[in-house]
Amino acid sequence: MKKSKATFTIILGVIIVLLLAASGWYSIQFNDWRLIVPTDFSTYAFVPQDLPMIISTLLFVLYVLYLAVLILRAAFAEKRRQKTANTTRRLNPKLGLLGFTGFLGFGGFWTYSAYEAVFPFIFFAFFGFFGFFYEGKMSNTLMDERYVENRTQAELTAHRVTVGILLAVLLVVGHGRGALLGSLDYTLIAVLIALSLTVALDLFLSEYLLYRYDSADQLDGGEE
Amino acid sequence: MPDFECRLKKYRQLKELTQEQLALQVGVRRETIMRLEKAQYNPSLKLAVDISRAVDAPIEEIFIFP
Repeated sequence: MKKSKATFTIILGVIIVLLLAASGWYSIQFNDWRLIVPTDFSTYAFVPQDLPMIISTLLFVLYVLYLAVLILRAAFAEKRRQKTANTTRRLNPKLGLLGFTGFLGFGGFWTYSAYEAVFPFIFFAFFGFFGFFYEGKMSNTLMDERYVENRTQAELTAHRVTVGILLAVLLVVGHGRGALLGSLDYTLIAVLIALSLTVALDLFLSEYLLYRYDSADQLDGGEE
Repeated sequence: MPDFECRLKKYRQLKELTQEQLALQVGVRRETIMRLEKAQYNPSLKLAVDISRAVDAPIEEIFIFP
């Protein structure tokens, strides 16, 4: 993505989030929390004061869709590039900081207690973005046969470890129809968390092990 | 670890090639050549043939398996 387009996307996102916050504030102050608290749309009646919240929510949804399209287009462009190019993709190791978004998963404990919503637990999978740190270190590397071999080895090891961990967790948590945690709800939450974390571990380990296998070779030093 | 002797360094130096130059010729990274010279990497048949052609030496002279 061009720098100007990235700047535009970020500025647009900030503006839309600010609009959403402002309309939320307006709703809380002057519109009796309408469309902030959970709304029953079967009995909903439109009032003009709802407009700021409706417009800002609509803009937010459109922005998220725009982001999704950008990501999909970038992913397809990368796939096309990989078919012809023989180097790894260019990536800034600082993108590894995105791994901290994995902490959003803890929000699941709050949403479950407040709304019985468990979907935020899947955000734990975002811890896998820490792998970008190692992928960034291998950015623009020639993918020769040894690289491909190392990548296969790294992915295989990562899959083995994560499947092993997941199987162990499922066996322990599911033993006696979830008797360990005392309720089916908690058992399902534990399984969801385990699934998300193992996805994250798989993503991270694949990149970390690839970097380790590859850099271990380079640390040996060389001679001309 | 592969169990073989590799004489690539000798033949590469005879051709007055650096690791980087040889790597470029055969389409791999310099680290792969380095690893090969230490007999720590077992190359594919294609890479072995490419290297053999690049250093102008028979493949069985470069990679010696017991």
